[in-house]
Amino acid sequence: MTSEQKFIPKITAFLCNWCSYGAADLAGVSRLSYPSSIRVIRIPCTGRMSPKFILQAFRQGFDGVWVSG
Amino acid sequence: MNEYIEQEARKALEEGFDGVLGLKNRWGQTGPYLFRNEEELDDIQTEPKFGLAKTIRTMLKRRPDLKIAAVLRGCDVRALQELEDLGEISTGNLRYLGISCSLEQAALCNCAKPIYDTATCTGCWNCLEACPEDAIARINTCPILQPSEYNSGLAQRKAIYIPYAQAVPLKATRDREHCLTTTGVMDCKGCENVCQAEAIVHDDQERTKDIEVGSIILSSGFQPFDPSRFDTYSYAEFKNVVTALEFERILAATGPWMGHLVRPGDEQEPKKIAFLQCVGSREMNRCDNEYCSSVCCMYAIKESVIAKEHAADDLDISIYYMDIRTPGKDFERYYEKAKDKGVRFIRSRVHTILEQPDGSLQLQYVTDDGQKLTEDYDMVVLSHGLEISDNARSMAENMGIELTKGGFIQSSDFSPVATNRSGIYACGALAGPKDIPQSVMEASAAACAATSNLSQARHSMTREAQLPPEQNVRGDRPRVGVFVCSCGINIAGVIDVQELVEHARSLPHVEFVDNNLFTCSQDTQDTMARVIREQGLNRVVVAACTPKTHEAVFQETLQAAGLNKYLFEMANIRNQDSWVHGQEPETATRKAKELIGMAVSKVLLNDPLEEVKLDITPAALVIGGGLAGMNAAVELAGQGFQTHLVEQDSQLGGIGRTKRKTVHNEPIQTYLSDMTRRIEEDPLIQAHLQSKVSKVSGFVGNFTSTVTTDGQDTEIEHGAVIIATGAREHIPEEYGYGQDKRIMTNHEIEQALSRKEIDPGSMNTAVFIQCVGSREPQRQYCSRICCTQTLKAALEFKEANPNIQVFVLYRDIRTYGERESLYKEARARGIIFVRFDPESKPEVSLNQDSVEVSLTDPLLGVKLDIQTDLIGLASAVVSRDNSELAQMFKVPVDEDGWFLEAHQKLRPVDFATDGVFMAGTCHYPKPIEESVTQAQAAVARAVCMLSSRELSLPGTVAVIDQSKCVGCGVCWTVCPYQAVSENENKLAEVNRALCKGCGTCVASCRSGAPDLNGFTQEEIFAELDALV
Amino acid sequence: MTTIVEDIRASARKLLEDKTVDCVIGFTEGSVPMQARPFFAYTPEETDLLTWNGFCTSNLANFLIKREGRNAILAQGCVSRNIVGLIQENQVNRDDVYILGVHSPGMLDPGKIKAAFAGRNILEVRENGQTLLVKGKDFEEEVSRKKFKRDNCYTCTHRNALIYDEFIGEQGKQTGGGDIDKVAAPWDKLDPDQRWQEFEEEFKDCIRCYACRNACPLCYCKVCFVDEHNPQWCGKTQDEPDIYTFHLLRAFHCAGRCTDCGACESACPVGIKMRRLTSKLEKDIRDKYDYQPGLDLESQPPMSVYRPDDPEIE
Repeated sequence: MTSEQKFIPKITAFLCNWCSYGAADLAGVSRLSYPSSIRVIRIPCTGRMSPKFILQAFRQGFDGVWVSG
Repeated sequence: MNEYIEQEARKALEEGFDGVLGLKNRWGQTGPYLFRNEEELDDIQTEPKFGLAKTIRTMLKRRPDLKIAAVLRGCDVRALQELEDLGEISTGNLRYLGISCSLEQAALCNCAKPIYDTATCTGCWNCLEACPEDAIARINTCPILQPSEYNSGLAQRKAIYIPYAQAVPLKATRDREHCLTTTGVMDCKGCENVCQAEAIVHDDQERTKDIEVGSIILSSGFQPFDPSRFDTYSYAEFKNVVTALEFERILAATGPWMGHLVRPGDEQEPKKIAFLQCVGSREMNRCDNEYCSSVCCMYAIKESVIAKEHAADDLDISIYYMDIRTPGKDFERYYEKAKDKGVRFIRSRVHTILEQPDGSLQLQYVTDDGQKLTEDYDMVVLSHGLEISDNARSMAENMGIELTKGGFIQSSDFSPVATNRSGIYACGALAGPKDIPQSVMEASAAACAATSNLSQARHSMTREAQLPPEQNVRGDRPRVGVFVCSCGINIAGVIDVQELVEHARSLPHVEFVDNNLFTCSQDTQDTMARVIREQGLNRVVVAACTPKTHEAVFQETLQAAGLNKYLFEMANIRNQDSWVHGQEPETATRKAKELIGMAVSKVLLNDPLEEVKLDITPAALVIGGGLAGMNAAVELAGQGFQTHLVEQDSQLGGIGRTKRKTVHNEPIQTYLSDMTRRIEEDPLIQAHLQSKVSKVSGFVGNFTSTVTTDGQDTEIEHGAVIIATGAREHIPEEYGYGQDKRIMTNHEIEQALSRKEIDPGSMNTAVFIQCVGSREPQRQYCSRICCTQTLKAALEFKEANPNIQVFVLYRDIRTYGERESLYKEARARGIIFVRFDPESKPEVSLNQDSVEVSLTDPLLGVKLDIQTDLIGLASAVVSRDNSELAQMFKVPVDEDGWFLEAHQKLRPVDFATDGVFMAGTCHYPKPIEESVTQAQAAVARAVCMLSSRELSLPGTVAVIDQSKCVGCGVCWTVCPYQAVSENENKLAEVNRALCKGCGTCVASCRSGAPDLNGFTQEEIFAELDALV
Repeated sequence: MTTIVEDIRASARKLLEDKTVDCVIGFTEGSVPMQARPFFAYTPEETDLLTWNGFCTSNLANFLIKREGRNAILAQGCVSRNIVGLIQENQVNRDDVYILGVHSPGMLDPGKIKAAFAGRNILEVRENGQTLLVKGKDFEEEVSRKKFKRDNCYTCTHRNALIYDEFIGEQGKQTGGGDIDKVAAPWDKLDPDQRWQEFEEEFKDCIRCYACRNACPLCYCKVCFVDEHNPQWCGKTQDEPDIYTFHLLRAFHCAGRCTDCGACESACPVGIKMRRLTSKLEKDIRDKYDYQPGLDLESQPPMSVYRPDDPEIE
């Protein structure tokens, strides 16, 4: 990476259907903006979250994993 | 034309006008400009690109004495006239320099009346962007912007607007009173021009429909008290004096400053805030609202705590109050926590607010001990009360409904949601000031009462959807259809939809791709169902908005096409893509492609899931035969359901048997015997006396319980349970209780009075001590009923013997709602109220023939010694030991032993476990009318389930792979719904009826035995894989 | 040492003669020096083959999992704690197990002995109280026993069996003298990059033989996540991501359950110190939840329950 290239982390977000996923929708309704390098995966509840998903995301090359619920 | 304008403008300046407002080209754009000298006038523009009314409004509002001339076109003039009619400005000093519009200009401002067809609207909100009230506002020329109701007037909205982001339905609405077109100010077709769904109907008119109904429920709520009526608080005058509702909006993330705590005057962060309680409540002289609004203490505490969380730690908050009233469940604890967090509570009523030059506010008040103090605050919040609007009052009057003194709906304590007119019911704040849980309970109770007489007609007007038989696609090669929605321009305006279509075509197993203007519109739905059949699709992906609002819509389409509804996925390319990445269309398109790829990868793995149907046993079990339980049983039978009422005593009635009158002096014993008779006579109710529930198995809709009576077991099949086991009185250990028969609990006084064992007529003095065992560290809750009970007893003593001296020693008098009139009456009748702090409680000493109470009066600072003939102790209401029952039904109790509801605000009678409900004082101490309300509410909640003939269980539940399960038991310990249990092979098993599909068991298992239908390990991995 | 072996044999013999149990699980001498192997005595006669020495490094609790019949088992502190864990996890029925409790003298690490005698072929190691007599073809040397103890036995906190039906020999000193926090502590001082470096360094030699997994009494799933192929949590290769995934997940599965018995390290053919990971988890669970696994049957392992007041872990 040259110094001119800005590092834009690729982030995958596991969001609870009942709160954070809805909040992400609301961010849209409110026309907020955030980097387009975030990918959301909807899960029914953060109770569903398994450490294996996090490891898999890193193995796939994501720079960060965000779990919210 | 230019010459004429220049000439007129020059003339105006010569005549001494302060300036001429016109348009000038500066920095490459044309904008409003105030020409002040003649040389400048060469630059004046006459191409009327912008209206100037808004600018004039702003100028004249700021400086009404300004004398200006303005270059105006016809619509500007009409707008200014409208503004004058609205009282916004006075145009007396304004000279109109009129110009006419060109034909092109007139065409741009086409005239239309934007009226709105909510059925057709898709919620794309293009119209909002187009409404000139906003579009023009951005260049600061729109004549009218209206205060947003949602943001309590702290922000503005347009004349076509979405009330708020979580509105249901999430569709635009129009403000007829301010829309330029409907008010005839100017013609505008802005919203209609952009609405691609053609939902805006210009000449739509208000319609009146006649609907025949069996019952009516009134729930029109309250209006917040308007403090501008009080000059004391200077709410109208001082910008940094706000109402609590406004403060709530300031704190809200969706509020005018996105949750950033600033004061409205200068948008600076306040460092010091004061809350003033009882604004518009408990005040007879100024606002005529004698009652307590019940909710303000709690919301003030809540807002204080939240404000402290939003701001830095050094935010200083004071609450000025008369009595802190936190009698609700868990409220007292919250109050104590707020104190710990540094919220200051000052017992005083502020008499004067003065504004300082920097906008801060000086409060003047007198403390308990008579000191006159002043303190400066950056901001003052008025905790304004609840009141009934004139509209609601006249509606009630027109219907012939009786109101209370405070203007709320009058009802009997035994039928708290019924009005005086049979068939008309009321709930919520319209029927008395109250908080959310109480309103929700009343809403359910009103639903129960309103449907009781209609239960015979249940299901007679329902129609069932006719669905084609479901095709079996298991094992078929996947054939995926992808529907890409443009959502008008919401998606297509940012994302290249054609590129998405091409991309989707390239994905494996995708056999059909289409792009729709609005995929959710009815005609597209019909097309989609046809395409699914014609193309033989067996999986569907819709790339559009969010599954949270639209998944169910599309799933219905799948069902209409004979596909299992779980063979569906959505790609959220609007809310989570085009709307948030509007500035970077290229990456937004790339993201949308990935989201579609993700949805396709997942849908390929989706299995058709079965929604199991379970029969429901249409019977209920009520545990506890007190007032709440009896009411529940009678109401359940009234709704047509077989009911078993289990009571451990030999008689029904519970603690109610020892009470004489309700708060409104209604005779309890007459009511109880009437209820007992109804229970005995009703063929649908079977009362099991001297019985207890000894065993329970099953789940919602299908419980089997064993009731043991005299060692005899009876098995009962039932679909729902209502637990109403009541509470008991705390036996005091303090204040010399038990050492002298003249020291009694309030409950004992009540019994002694009814048996005529004590005679107030022969007494000289009686002392009541409040909060005995309540609001103590070991019992950090308020028992809610004692203040009212004490005041009732004290007044009865005075009634019987006007010469008796009655003292009430209290911490805070908590006569919430219209009970406040008791407090007022008590003071009027000469009952003496002496406050004490928990650190210096009254002391009771026993002498040979007298009992003496001593304490220091905090107001006078003197020590009082009261010789008394009787001490009444307002002893706490405490929970019974419900652990056995809790274990049987797998329901929780809180740390004070009260049953814990599923949600303290929104589900106050439900347990998290389906099919189990609660009523009465086993939930929290409460007076009779609230117990009856909760019983009726519990019945309504139970009937919701019992009246559906079968339970349809969602397909998205956990399943356990028995070949991988090792039976370690982690899943059944962590399952929050008790849906997983050990089967006969000592391995885990999921009860579909209880499983809510949270997936906690899946994540907890080391062996990977459980999986979650709809969100399987494989599916989530496929989504992740698709994202690279 | 001899007397305790005799006591063990006598107790085992009695249990089998009285038909109290169907089998006694213990150790017997291995076929090579410095090795004892698990042994199952089914007849009174077979009990003569039982032994108990510093090389009994396998965790016998492993063999109790879902084992049929009634079994007696020789258990020192850590093994008894694992039995408690297995009872909590429904893998062992307490009524079907007869626990012969013993005190652990601290087990030996053959690797350390071999290293000390590098280049020389050890034919026999005899334990003699606090010393070891190491014999080869042409040498015989007496060394201090303490120097050659396994790492986990230094940091042991419970050497005596915690639950037992019969205690053989005398209860001895409970601790090994070392501090387990010192194993875990270095992690706290490292920044994420350094941690990753350390972690890579420690596990780079793994050949994925799964000896650590197989030796561990916590690993009893019918299908291990590493063997799953649908979904494939973890690739089958020797590549770093797969190795790291394996070790990270294996460690996570031990959280709140590991008794630091050291069986994994003793089993490892390439000398990986898995305890560097598990000791950190052990410390975190102890610090945050005030919990040590397997100390009593009543308490619930913190990772198996949810409480609203569960601590936040940074």
